[in-house]
Amino acid sequence: MVQWCFQLIENGSIKSLFRKMLPRVVMAVIKGLLWFVLLYVVPMFIFSSLSGFAPEIFSSYGQLLQVFVAIVLFFVVASELTSGTILQHAFNIGKALILMIFIVIGLQGGIVALDFQGFHVVANLQIYIAMLLTIDLLGLAKNVLQAINFLSEKDESQLPAPSPK
Amino acid sequence: MKQAIRAIGIAIYVLWLVVIVFTVTAVYSAFQLQVDFSENPRTSTSGGTMTLLFPFSLKNKGFYDISDLNITTVVQESNGALISNSSTVIPLISSGNKVNATHSISITIENMASSSLSRLLFYDTELNIDHSLALKYAGVIPLEISRNSTMQWGAPFYNLTLGKLSIHGSNVMIPINFENHSFFAINGTLTLELFNDSNQRVGIGTTALNVQPSYSYSNSVQVLVSGAPRRIREAHLSFDTSLFSYGPVVFPID
Repeated sequence: MVQWCFQLIENGSIKSLFRKMLPRVVMAVIKGLLWFVLLYVVPMFIFSSLSGFAPEIFSSYGQLLQVFVAIVLFFVVASELTSGTILQHAFNIGKALILMIFIVIGLQGGIVALDFQGFHVVANLQIYIAMLLTIDLLGLAKNVLQAINFLSEKDESQLPAPSPK
Repeated sequence: MKQAIRAIGIAIYVLWLVVIVFTVTAVYSAFQLQVDFSENPRTSTSGGTMTLLFPFSLKNKGFYDISDLNITTVVQESNGALISNSSTVIPLISSGNKVNATHSISITIENMASSSLSRLLFYDTELNIDHSLALKYAGVIPLEISRNSTMQWGAPFYNLTLGKLSIHGSNVMIPINFENHSFFAINGTLTLELFNDSNQRVGIGTTALNVQPSYSYSNSVQVLVSGAPRRIREAHLSFDTSLFSYGPVVFPID
């Protein structure tokens, strides 16, 4: 094992792996931070400023937001770390599918009911959910096409160059 | 393939833009809705029906129309018996428009003479009131807001009692007492019929009623009895007021 490690260092494989992975890790960190700020910090700031108006609503949806952010961040980082491979597309497809399920479950199938200040409020957001699911379905289709395109380009690059007649 | 991927990407961006713009403008518009209940509620009485009128105005300063607005108030007795079910419908409040309306809650006092609600005439109780407001926002989002509350009901003939008969020859004086705990005045007549042990009517007396809310009634009704007053076994009380008629209420007499 130790010998294998020395061999790797001598051959420069770890160095090349490090060189290859470093930009991906940096990009993953940057993208992760950006998404975190956009999806968590900004909404939580808005929630905390609005929570004086209706604390019951925002406290119940804060947890939902945390789960949503965790899902998105995991897939953004995973997709970035595996960029340039088929795994990137697999993670993107997985993200689209999981977000679709999350939207349906998180928004209670479109019938959102909540209680605040003695009032019971029921909103039928099925049209809204349909719009979000349409976007996610389009995203899924885009990811599948990108995966197919990636595989076909990879196959084409491995074909022997046509010989002149 | 790349063009298809690009086209889908553009479609996704456009759809996200639509969703975000719609969400932001819808939330902003919802906060621009002004509801004004500054006018005092009124009451009116006609033909045995008491109506509570709540004037209000709605000003829609948002970007989207509000349609099919329906305000419903259901008043039920604690045992579930329906007292009143009133709805006010406003078909459309266009963006930038103001609508003045009145929500009226009608309570038919005459209905209280029916068997299921007659106890409301004699016993104070708590009424359950379900308020609900349903509307369609921006034409696509149905919304319903509801609230349950309770209201104290005061009986118009609370603690109705007959006192001890005082017999002076053929004349019988019967004291009648009750308290008007209701929010309306009782104007009309009270009829007292006396029956003997053979279930034959032996006398009838009538007196006028004018009892304001929160006041007690205490009066004696004089009845001229045919036959032996000692054989009186039952007294039947009937009320005929401007709001309702009810009776007879049977009291056994020892």
